Order: sequence, then C-alpha cells, then structure tokens
Amino acid sequence: MKNYRVSTNIQRFFIYLFLTILLIIVILPIWLLIVNGTRSTVEIQNGISLIPSKYMVTNYKILLSKGLDLPRGFFNSFYISAMTTVVSVYFSLMTAYGLVVYKFRGRKLLYNGILVLVMIPMQLSIIGFYQYMSKLGLADSYWSLILPSIASAGAVFFGKQYLESVVLQDLIDAGRIDGASELGIFHRIMLPIAAPGAFTMGIFAFVGAWNNFFNAFILITSRQKYTLPMLIQTLRGDVYRPEYGAIYLGLAASVIPIIIIYFLFSRYIVNGISMGAVKE
Amino acid sequence: MNRPKKSRFNYGYYFVAPFVVGFLLFGLYPVYNTIALSFTDTTLMSAKSNFVGLANFKRLFADSVFMTAVKNTWLLWVLNFIPQLGIAMLLSVWFTSTRLKLKAVGVWRMLFYLPNLLMPAAIAALFFSLFSFYGPVNQFMVRAGFIPEAIDYLRNPTVARALVVFIQWWMWFGQTTIILMAGMTSISVQVYEAALVDGATSFQMFRYITLPLIKPVTIYILVTSLVGGMQMFDIPMLLTDGRGSPANSILTNNILMYMKFRSSKGHIGAAASVGVLVFIMTTICSLLIFYLLRDKDANLEEAED
Repeated sequence: MKNYRVSTNIQRFFIYLFLTILLIIVILPIWLLIVNGTRSTVEIQNGISLIPSKYMVTNYKILLSKGLDLPRGFFNSFYISAMTTVVSVYFSLMTAYGLVVYKFRGRKLLYNGILVLVMIPMQLSIIGFYQYMSKLGLADSYWSLILPSIASAGAVFFGKQYLESVVLQDLIDAGRIDGASELGIFHRIMLPIAAPGAFTMGIFAFVGAWNNFFNAFILITSRQKYTLPMLIQTLRGDVYRPEYGAIYLGLAASVIPIIIIYFLFSRYIVNGISMGAVKE
Repeated sequence: MNRPKKSRFNYGYYFVAPFVVGFLLFGLYPVYNTIALSFTDTTLMSAKSNFVGLANFKRLFADSVFMTAVKNTWLLWVLNFIPQLGIAMLLSVWFTSTRLKLKAVGVWRMLFYLPNLLMPAAIAALFFSLFSFYGPVNQFMVRAGFIPEAIDYLRNPTVARALVVFIQWWMWFGQTTIILMAGMTSISVQVYEAALVDGATSFQMFRYITLPLIKPVTIYILVTSLVGGMQMFDIPMLLTDGRGSPANSILTNNILMYMKFRSSKGHIGAAASVGVLVFIMTTICSLLIFYLLRDKDANLEEAED
C-alpha cells in the first residue's frame, strides 16, 4: 500500500510538471503581447522582457497618429456584439421555449433540423449572402452582421437543454389562470427564471461576434465602419512596420476586454461549454 | 387530452416562427443564392451575368490551386486535431481521476481554455510579430545560441504550416478538454468501482469503460472541429500575406474563396463555386462521421421518445 502511494506521488509530480509546461505555452504568448504593448520599440528590439514598461500611452499616441482609430473600432465592435447578443439570446430562447413547452406538430422535425444545422458549414454561403445583401442595399451595413443571429442553431440547442431543466409547467399554468397571454408568460415568468442560461448564451454570442473577422471582412467596406479585427488586420501594413510597441498595444487592446470578461464569468463559460456538448 | 390544451400547442408555431423565417431569409436563401451564382459568370463590376453551366467548376478542377487549397485545409486540420484530442484526452483523464486527486483542476482548466476566446485575428498578428525576422523568437534563439543567425520563419513553408497547426492546437485543446471532462464526469462512479473490484487496471478501465461511454461526446468534438477546420481562415490568412504564402503552403479553402471574391475582376461566380464544393465536401463528411460512428442503440431511445 505504501509503495502504491509513493508511485502515485511520483506520477502526480510528473503530471504537475507537464501541466506547468503546458500552462507556460498557453500563457507566454498572451503575456508577451500585453507586456510588449507597454514597451517602447527600442526596448522591444533590445530584447525580451516579461516585466511591463511605461510606454503604453506613448504607444497609444503613435497608433492614433498613424490614423488607427482604435476607439471607433471598439465602439463599432461593441455595438455589433451587443446587438447580436440581444437578438440571438432573445430569439433563440423564444424558439427553445416553443420547442419545450408546446407539443405542436412538426416540432421534432424542426428540432432535428436544428441539430443538423450545427453540423453544416453555413458560413460557406457567404458569397450568396453578400450578393443578396448588396441587392437589398444592406451590404455595407451592420444589419447584415446582426440579423442572421435571429436563427442561431447552436444557441437554440443550448437554450433547449437549459430550459428543459428549469421550465416548470405549474408556473406556466398559474400564469394562465391569472390571465397572462402565452407571450406574457414567456416574458414575465420564463425569462427571469432562465436568466442564468440566457447570460451564458449571451457571453458566447458576444465573444463570437466580437472575434468575428471573416463575415465583416467580406461585408463591410467603409473604413469608418471597420470592426476591431478588421482594424487589427491593417496593423500588419507598412505604415506601422517600425512601431512594434504600438502594434502590440493595438493587438493587446483587442483581447484584453475578452480576458476581463473571462476572468469575471469563467464559471458560466466553462459550464456552458460542458452543457452544450453532453446529453445529446 | 382535452381540446383547449391541444389547440394551445399551436402557439408553439408563433414561438418558433422568427427562427424559421430568419433561417429561410438569412440561412437557406443565401445557400440557394450561392449555388445559383456558382453557375454564372457574375462579377462585382457589371450588372450583367450569364449562365455558364459547370464552367466555374471545370475551371476549378483544372486549376491545381483549388486542389492545393483542399489538401492544405485537410492537412492543417488533421495535424492539429490529432494532438488536440490526444492532449485533451490525457488532461481530462487526469483531471477526473479519483485516484490522482489533482489540485485546482478548475483553475488549470480555466487557464487552458483562455486562448480559445481571444480574437483569432489578433492571435495571428501576434504570432506574425513574434516570428518575424527581427521578432522576439529570433532574438531569443540567436542570443541563447540555439541558432547561429536569424531565420526568416514565415518564408519557410514547413514552418508556416507548423505555426498554423500549433496556433490552432493552442486555441482549441482547452475547449476539447472541457467537453471531454463533461462526458467523463457523467459516467457513474459505480461502473469504475465494479471494474476495480474485478481487478481491472487503469488502462483497461479507460479502454473498456471510458472510451465507449464518451463516444457521443467524441463524435460531437470531431464533427464540430471538422466543420470549423474546413472553414479555417483568420489564422492562415493573417499569419502571412493573406494569399497563403509561402508557396501556397497555408492557402486554405476560404482564403481561396476570398481571393476569388476580391480579385481584380471580382468574379463572385467563381468564388461561389469554391464555397459550394467545400460546402458539399464538409457536409457529406460530417454527416457521414455522425451516422457511421453513432451508437446503434441511440435509435431505439429516440423511437420511444
């Protein structure tokens, strides 16, 4: 028995060692990014450092002077992400609620269809989507990025799993006796109960929209409507080439809001991923 | 069943209507439109377009670039998926082990997942900077004496591919770990206890209990990763010049589609045909994986529901 414990301890030591190496691989690039955003170009060229320096403001001024409108990009991305989150969460929960509470004909077919949609690369229809949007005059508009989230198959899938565990038929019946409309029950009784699930869905919708590069890159053409990832992409251009500190700062600024969201709400995010996958 | 209750079920149609309409308008119609465009010579520049039959597709198959893109995309996906699943499997076995009782599992797992949430465009630009000629990696390697002089990493096809594979792995192994762990923790402890009483080794328990029981979760990971992998764009696009350099080594399906879309002639008919072919290829593969690997008894459960 003692031998067994010793061997377990040795094993544990090597596992912790492995985990630590993995952690360094995961964190080091992100840490270098943030630290380099605070260092001057001269410092960066002189060598690697893991300690932040004091040139963040200088780097920021360089970015602005080169014409990179970071605040504007932030605002654009935030606006699109917030709208997408609201639209996607509201309509996905509504769809999921319809599927869970009402046993209408064709509901199983619809649900299976939604499951298949998760397995189909819908993004590949972007060319047809672009041409269709330009015909409608929406090609260079945020609506073309926001409206498709009305039909988010993955969010409906998650919403249905979640609602199945929280919907209480008694509460719905009580609402009906009180004379509430079906939609009123959904709004006033179900949405508050489903708030934690809605929150989890919201985080995923927000992060997805915030990071989305491909769709915006195809659809948005006017410079003042550029989203953050589109601005980031211009940082590789010749204008910025010698200004390493400024480039790193621009990149760091685009990932830091997400890192903060993650450290605040990591429990929701991790549980959300677990829930989306199991119990299929 | 009384009648009013039955008719109330029809309210369900109102609740799912926005989704269905949204899907028809923004999901299905674009797919139809993409297919329709792929048979035409539509460009961004002129309003006129002609039906050209399969000409776009014939040109794609005649052009070796398309096959290169398909091969690259598969290569980059497979090479990152295998270590991704391998490491995630190892981590989730360790993290859920009742014998090892590792500390702070939640913290490890949370940190390993972090890269997945970061903006891929920023990550690609970051690695572009780190591995550029005057970048930190060269500084470190030269000063530490690992290499005699600086290397232009991003001009080497093998290094460029390896970097894309590494970044994809780096971004996704944490998520795969979380999903696998969820699958493993849903397995009843009693199954393992019974196996322990029967004298099973750790490996036997993994092979004959864990693996079969997490199969549905593994299929989910495989299919969603494949669907995402076939559309790989941000990382290879922004790691080099946006054209799959060096030597087309990281030119993926979506980069090719984008290049045709933004070419000087703006030939969106040709771009659509790339989308259609990749769409068909991915959909067939993912549905095939799903139906081939799925448990036969799962059908029974659905039938009784």
